[in-house]
Amino acid sequence: MVSMKWKKLGKIFDPTQHGLANKCVQFAQSPQTLVFDDFVRIYFATREPDNGKYLSHVAFVDMCKNLHDVIRVSDKTVIPLGGLGCFDEHGIFPMNVVRQGDAIFGYTCGWNRRVSVSVDTAIGLAISHDDGLTFQRVGDGPVLAASLHEPCLVGDGFVKIIGNTFHIWYIFGTGWKKYDTDVPSDRIYKIGHAVSKDGIEWVKEEARQIISDRLGDDESQALPTVIEIAGRYHMFFCYRQSFDFRKTKGRGYRVGHAWSDDLCSWSRDDDNPLLEGTLGEWDCDMQCYPHVFECDGKVYLLYNGNEFGRYGFGLAELET
Amino acid sequence: MFQWKKLGKVFTPQDVAGRAWLKEFAQAPATLVFDDFVRVYFSCRPPADGNGQYVSYSAYVDLDRADLFKVRHVSEQPILSLGGPGDFDEFGTYPVSVVRDGDEIRAYYAGWTRCESVPFNVAIGCANSRDGGKTFSKLGKGPVLSYSPSEPFVQSGPKIRRFNGIWYLWYIAGRKWKMVAGRAEPTYKIRMATSYDGIHWTKLNKDLIENRIEEDEAQASPDVLYASGKYHMFFCYRYSSHYRGKENGYRIGYASSANLTDWVRDDTKAGIDVSEDGWDAEMISYPHVFELDGKTYMTYLGDQVGRYGFGLAVLDGTLE
Repeated sequence: MVSMKWKKLGKIFDPTQHGLANKCVQFAQSPQTLVFDDFVRIYFATREPDNGKYLSHVAFVDMCKNLHDVIRVSDKTVIPLGGLGCFDEHGIFPMNVVRQGDAIFGYTCGWNRRVSVSVDTAIGLAISHDDGLTFQRVGDGPVLAASLHEPCLVGDGFVKIIGNTFHIWYIFGTGWKKYDTDVPSDRIYKIGHAVSKDGIEWVKEEARQIISDRLGDDESQALPTVIEIAGRYHMFFCYRQSFDFRKTKGRGYRVGHAWSDDLCSWSRDDDNPLLEGTLGEWDCDMQCYPHVFECDGKVYLLYNGNEFGRYGFGLAELET
Repeated sequence: MFQWKKLGKVFTPQDVAGRAWLKEFAQAPATLVFDDFVRVYFSCRPPADGNGQYVSYSAYVDLDRADLFKVRHVSEQPILSLGGPGDFDEFGTYPVSVVRDGDEIRAYYAGWTRCESVPFNVAIGCANSRDGGKTFSKLGKGPVLSYSPSEPFVQSGPKIRRFNGIWYLWYIAGRKWKMVAGRAEPTYKIRMATSYDGIHWTKLNKDLIENRIEEDEAQASPDVLYASGKYHMFFCYRYSSHYRGKENGYRIGYASSANLTDWVRDDTKAGIDVSEDGWDAEMISYPHVFELDGKTYMTYLGDQVGRYGFGLAVLDGTLE
């Protein structure tokens, strides 16, 4: 296979340098792009402090196509959080966008707080008719949620329309596990796949884990993103140990890779191309929440670095 | 109007000894008829915990077929275990509805979890019995019916039926959480889904029963049976606020249908209401209608939604 390599271009956006709506002050997580003729809109999830917890909100930054200069940052609510008791009441993080005719479909990962475990999530759909400035939900509930063999934490959807079929790659929780007596339960999740004719009604593969584990059964895999390069599909995602991953070096998120020629069977190959942190830099401890996209003939990767993107996201360019 | 003759209370959970998990409540009775006894599934609770919170279990009582007021046996154990940490049914399995499937018995049950902003959420699970309905194994760790755009939360009260080779599931879906005197109260509507195997469901996505007493009327226990050439549904309904007393509490309603999807509500035909005095003088709810040895019976709950057990009524004549 052709050898691929990431050329790292450094951090390109720091949320603490901009005014954000909804009292958000830090975090620009899971950047996701919508490419226009003369600029790139990059959605991200930012956070409003909420009594020691957080509420994640969707915001965006418009950047010049050099992916360096900021044109503007959204100063209004892109999509409000869900109502009382709804799946997205306590945050939307991330949101993936895909053009569908004149509309833009936003696939949200909604968060709601639980009592015995911290949260559950599900995937919702909201549609924009104003080029992505604002989104309106198709309903109060999700379009993809827990099911018989995907019992919890359905989220991180990435949608691609191929032919007449909507594909969604997403994550599903396999369950919660207590790794030590005096720590809260941790979650484990894997990457799954579903298809749809309309982007609303989905048929899941129902708990088929499409990406093999590198760290064993308790590897957590998150935020898949898929692109076609020279007739082959490439998926990037992030993966980590399922406990003690927040602060301990070597246990946190790294970026993984797999490829497929039939959208069914995926071969994991994290080393080609390999994304590595740079010693002493903003991404030295952690690389997570990848988003791959094409712009003016180049393939780019947006991703977060240390502390899950508290201080923004960076960029890499694919060299073949 | 149907003429129901009340026969009295059949089962009182407080009379059962030696079962720590069965202290009070016998809710949502559902029958399974055997050669010489009638098994009535119900849901019950151990005492509340230190915070006044309950978990719920489902169990059964076997009544003598020749004399339904004669209790022959009460299950030694709950028919289902509670889910593990983070599972949708961690804090309750209530109510349950059963149907025969060849040599097996399939159960659909509502699983309860606890949330931060609202007290709970509910989803519908599925389980199988190979020992005549004494114990059930869950088909998966997650729910068999997922939340969806127009059914965002509180999917509960399953009633499983099979007509003409098709599986029908009637259930309720939460419409909104309403803040009443500082407390989040759910309102819900009667919905339906169909399936060819009881596992893969297609939702009708329609409110089956029009509101009568108010827009936020809560409807529950959609119990359907076929008689005299049409389908009959008995259900219960209540006001959205201050419904824990006589004034706004549950009453039993009625609707009929020729095709199972279009229903005409006519509560004046229900023919059963609260009593002048006694155990069901304040409210009457969770009807379940079944035919046995040429007669039509209804089991139902009285005051405090079944805290002190369920009763039985017999129809004078036939359902027409």
